[in-house]
Amino acid sequence: MVNLTIDDKQVTAPKTATIYEAAKLNGIAIPILCHDKKLKPFGACRMCLVEVEQMKGRQIPACTTPVTEGMIIRTSTPDIVKARKMVLELLLLNHPIDCPVCDKAGDCDLQNLTYEYKVDANRFTDEKFHHEIDYNNPLIERDMNRCVLCGKCARICDEIVSFGALTFISRGIETKIGCEFDEALNCEFCGSCVSVCPVGSLLARPFKFKARFWSLTKNKSVCGYCGTGCNLTLGVKDNKVLTTLYDENQGFHNGQLCVRGRFGYQFINSDKRLTKPLVRKNGKLEEAGWDEALELVAARLKDAGASTAALATARLTNEELVVFKQLLQTAGCGNYDHSAGYAHAALTEGFAGSFGASASPSTILDIQKSDLLLVIKTDAYETHPVVGFEINMAVKNKGTLLKILTDKSGKLSKLPDARTLVHTPGSEIAIINSLAKVILDNKLVDASAAALPGYAALEKELAAFTPEAVSAQCGLTAVEIKLLASAYATAEKALILFPVGQAYPGHTAALANAVANLALLAGKLGKEGGGVLCLSEKNNSQGAVDMGFQAGIGAGRIIDGCADGSITTLFLAGENPLVSYPDHARVQAALDKVEFLVVSEMFLTETAAMADVVLPVCSFAEKEGTFTATDRRVQHIKPAIRKVGQSRSDFEIFGALIAKLGGVAPGTPASVFAEISATVPGYTGMSYASLGVEGQFAPVELKPAFVMPNAPAVTVEPGKLALVTGSALYHNGTLSQYGEGPMHVCPEGYVEISRADAAASRFAENDLLTVSSAGGSMKLKAHISARMPQGVVFAPYHFGANPVNQVWSGAPVTWITLAK
Amino acid sequence: MNPIKTFVPIIQGLKITLGHLFKKPVTLQYPTERPKVAERFRGLHALNVSHNKAKCVACYLCPTVCPAKCITVEAGEDANHDKFASVYEIDMLRCIFCGYCVEACPVDAIRMTGEFELANYSRKDFVYSKERLLEKK
Repeated sequence: MVNLTIDDKQVTAPKTATIYEAAKLNGIAIPILCHDKKLKPFGACRMCLVEVEQMKGRQIPACTTPVTEGMIIRTSTPDIVKARKMVLELLLLNHPIDCPVCDKAGDCDLQNLTYEYKVDANRFTDEKFHHEIDYNNPLIERDMNRCVLCGKCARICDEIVSFGALTFISRGIETKIGCEFDEALNCEFCGSCVSVCPVGSLLARPFKFKARFWSLTKNKSVCGYCGTGCNLTLGVKDNKVLTTLYDENQGFHNGQLCVRGRFGYQFINSDKRLTKPLVRKNGKLEEAGWDEALELVAARLKDAGASTAALATARLTNEELVVFKQLLQTAGCGNYDHSAGYAHAALTEGFAGSFGASASPSTILDIQKSDLLLVIKTDAYETHPVVGFEINMAVKNKGTLLKILTDKSGKLSKLPDARTLVHTPGSEIAIINSLAKVILDNKLVDASAAALPGYAALEKELAAFTPEAVSAQCGLTAVEIKLLASAYATAEKALILFPVGQAYPGHTAALANAVANLALLAGKLGKEGGGVLCLSEKNNSQGAVDMGFQAGIGAGRIIDGCADGSITTLFLAGENPLVSYPDHARVQAALDKVEFLVVSEMFLTETAAMADVVLPVCSFAEKEGTFTATDRRVQHIKPAIRKVGQSRSDFEIFGALIAKLGGVAPGTPASVFAEISATVPGYTGMSYASLGVEGQFAPVELKPAFVMPNAPAVTVEPGKLALVTGSALYHNGTLSQYGEGPMHVCPEGYVEISRADAAASRFAENDLLTVSSAGGSMKLKAHISARMPQGVVFAPYHFGANPVNQVWSGAPVTWITLAK
Repeated sequence: MNPIKTFVPIIQGLKITLGHLFKKPVTLQYPTERPKVAERFRGLHALNVSHNKAKCVACYLCPTVCPAKCITVEAGEDANHDKFASVYEIDMLRCIFCGYCVEACPVDAIRMTGEFELANYSRKDFVYSKERLLEKK
């Protein structure tokens, strides 16, 4: 800490702080335009000029000058105020000052400073800019006439998003922010640039002209898409969520969001939302009253009893999952599951065996504290973009080593010094076993490992996984495997990340066991910045696991049970198996066969359209409850708007059904959460009050053991291409189809093929290809990319209009042929 | 009793009364006679027009400043990507004719006319749409 004087006030500040940070820390405001706490100091705008006595009263920028012992700083002498006024005058000289039609008004740094410094006239005259405004883009509008050249957008795109879409182009008075060759913006549309723009140069088009900033009610919430658990501020007006607002102090991610979080909120107030219960009469779904619909469902649940099964989406709150479980138990139903069963087996079976707890031992906060990150599948970026930003920052700012083990390269591969090992699809478990084998052979085993149960058995079982043997089938060389193993073992703090989800059938319990063995052998657990983090797919996947929403035969066999008649009644809460479960034909046949299908949904999805009763439910913005993020951060959400139409929360629906079945309906979400905190391990002592805005981590208690994973043999079908499914960057599950933002950027499914394969078969971009597998065939547009290795193709799974499960049967690798 | 003290005020009073008998009467024979409205009278609003378009750019300052919350504006985007008021309504039943909307307007799009005859038969007719508010030429 250093001592210094700011405006005659004795203060202390950390040695690494700049004058601006020291002042802010001590409650002294210095005006800024080009500075952002997430970005490196830049010093472009000269608004933060201060006087330092030791520098003979020269005016120096506070945001770039580090503090030194005994500094005497003055932040607002008449000279400084005069200088700042002049800066503003010069900025306003070329600025169009079109505040009445600019959506930024009210939230504009330039406007606020102009008012603060009372700049109501300009001594200078000059022409305004005449840059062409970029309206081409459906999500981000760029009006460079309003730009003050602070460079925040270009810097955030480079430093955090690591895309580099924007930069300064031209020189001198002609300087502006633009894309390469001054072309239209074509990036991943996370909107980070929009969020930091201090003026109205970059604006969110979906929110354009919808409302003024000051008329919005700001409601804090938690994003309803992936498991990262990002915090959101919803901008609400007239009971409608109109936008998401940027708050740089929100969450571990400092308000940083991805395209889904920032631009995918429109599903909340979509016209397609169901507002009334639907009941099938004479083969057609017709609107009905709640009493009628609930009575019908309750009677059916009572009759069907044990032949009932249920599948829930992991987007329900913890409280709803607990009440749903209670309902199913009241009805005598013993088979329920969530997200296709296999999607979370890494947690429920894998980690449960290896760690004695169904949760990841590490948190997202460990990423930036780590020395080495081993990412399995670059899809970690696509499924959890904000985790991807953390990886970017760790690699770029902290010098963390990045090793990627993947079946295709991706954006993470482009990071500085990233080492990407591209293996043949489906061989990741064998490779990780082989890494463990190298660690054993090279005596890199941590002292603590030998004492763990299962060590001797593991040593014996791993004998077959020599790098030489594995390299023959996985497409890597033995040297590469050995180098990776020694790099991993010798790093002091190393963290392994891997995504799981419905699109990753290969990421099973076995992969979790293999990863856990590796981390345990190398002794990476229990250290800050080290360990294993399994990235769960949905916003409450970890919560569903923690609540134990899983009993009986499992999701896959529930579908089979419907098909063979042993299950007569199926209750789907928000689940859309027709699109997201493997093997479309099998699911379709099962849902056709099942006698009574109840679906509680926000939208009339493909699955809901087949139901006998559809119960309209509300979105995360309309209900109260808790979500548990992938790293067991439990966060509380409150309603931001009233419920749309007659929709009810799943909580109310399950409660009403329990009452109709003669059980005791639960009280409020708060009382159910009290029950959760009393019974669920790790949640002890939590309450809505203690969760607050930031949420609380549920600690994970580890009982590590070695569990030998079964590495499934990869069968290679010669002459065919390996199809790996996954998540598109812009989507999550099937919900994002109802968000306009994601659908603007990525409106339909596609099959991504390597340049070599495309050239060999003469496929061009956007050609409609027939994709055929043993399971069926479908048509998808071709997308040719440099990241795919030869012989491997990729397809995202989110789209109900043409679901990829028509060809994908749930195997980790599906062998397909492509034809024009 | 002092007669002077008693009668002088009465006579003075009668002088004023008699004087009025010979003045022009104040009472206006409305509606046959029309009042002359002062230049700065605050009557019915009008939306100013320029280049055959309402000048309003839908900046929402008038609904923001309106103390009676009687103005409803909805912005739209026209073919040139410019902002315009797709909806502009004033509820005259709530309006208190304070004129703040005129003061707040940054583009001189709204003014108050001398029009004061605002009576109507049904409540909905008091909600003036954009078409009714556009200035008449």
